[in-house]
Amino acid sequence: MRFRFCGDLDCPDWVLAEISTLAKISSVKLKLICAQVLRDLLGEAIEYDKILKLTSDAKLESGDVKATIAVLSFILSSAAKHNVDSESLSSELQQLGLPKEHASGLCRSYEEKQSPLQDRLRACSLRLSQLGSVHWRVDYTLSSSELQEVNEPVVHLTFNVRDREGDKMTAVPVTLSANKFWVLLADRKSVV
Amino acid sequence: MLLVLSADHQAHLGCLPRAGGAGGEQAPGRGGTGPESGETGPGRGESGHRAEPRSFGGRTAVRGALCPAAKAPRAPALCVFFKGKLNIGVDIIQHGVEGLVYLLTESSKLMISEVDFQDSINVLGFSDELNKSLLQLYLDNRKEIRSILGELAPRLPSYHSLEWRLDVQLASRSLRQQIKPAVTMKLHLNQNEDQTAQVLQTDPATLLHLIQQLEQALGEMKMNHCRRIVRNMK
Repeated sequence: MRFRFCGDLDCPDWVLAEISTLAKISSVKLKLICAQVLRDLLGEAIEYDKILKLTSDAKLESGDVKATIAVLSFILSSAAKHNVDSESLSSELQQLGLPKEHASGLCRSYEEKQSPLQDRLRACSLRLSQLGSVHWRVDYTLSSSELQEVNEPVVHLTFNVRDREGDKMTAVPVTLSANKFWVLLADRKSVV
Repeated sequence: MLLVLSADHQAHLGCLPRAGGAGGEQAPGRGGTGPESGETGPGRGESGHRAEPRSFGGRTAVRGALCPAAKAPRAPALCVFFKGKLNIGVDIIQHGVEGLVYLLTESSKLMISEVDFQDSINVLGFSDELNKSLLQLYLDNRKEIRSILGELAPRLPSYHSLEWRLDVQLASRSLRQQIKPAVTMKLHLNQNEDQTAQVLQTDPATLLHLIQQLEQALGEMKMNHCRRIVRNMK
């Protein structure tokens, strides 16, 4: 069976196995747990104690609680990744065996946070390096040890590049003569 | 397979029978040696059995020596404790503990049977009770020692995660109006708790070839040759 939220592939076996665990929790509590999982996916801190309190009624063991969080993370991030709308997600989850109220509660939480989730996933995508800022200065050389009258403008540029890991900014200084600078500008304009 | 103990080793272990007579006070003493002593069984401490001091000390020594997370320096704390209880020099106690640890780790490493272990320690000329308690100590802790020893082997960098990205190059400074797809990957590896990342880039054709090669490698496991070897190993 192909599912859109799995990217038109089969649903992983472990997700199928954990759907029955999800059904044990009441639909109201499931919606609250979804809210916590969405907070984690959006980069805020997850409140594990609240989730433990919510699952205590269903008498889940600690392994089951972690499995619930993992399954919800997978379903929500996978649906956002493949840009699935909430009605399709709801019908697919019901096909997998999740009861109707649970599926609709989950999908309503998903719908509210779909765009922020997709923005966050876009920001997390692989990037090699990123330009932070550019500083410039134009100088005018009057004379030098080689030639008495130079009278040429010189451009100094500093590119602040954030490296791959995103921790440090490296400064790359470049000095150009006026002609080279015009070439650089012309090339840059031709890209756009 | 017998374990051969060198003369030094036997001399060090020779201090163990002398460390008797402190049987009654084990229970309160146990709390004093910190985290290492926590794992001894509940029934043992209350018996006041004569063999208890050696096996208790041995167990804590083994645990303290082998537990990678032991925060307290095991030798000084234990030696001071035993010096107080048993009136023997610190050096002798330290040698005794180290001898015991070596005996247990070598036996667990080689996975020697009970009979072989008993024959190996008969050389030391201890009493039967002591031999029995050493054997019991070995059998109880063998599995745990083996799991700790297994983690000490050197490791190659292992896979942690893979981030990927599909790009299409549309134009460059030299050539406009192109279509050139490329897959950029960042391979995260773990080596001894260090995380390193390697950036790789390839075109889709090479990537498909790579996948094909890896699937062929996995398929080797199903060939007759591998199946025969796996069957013989089990």
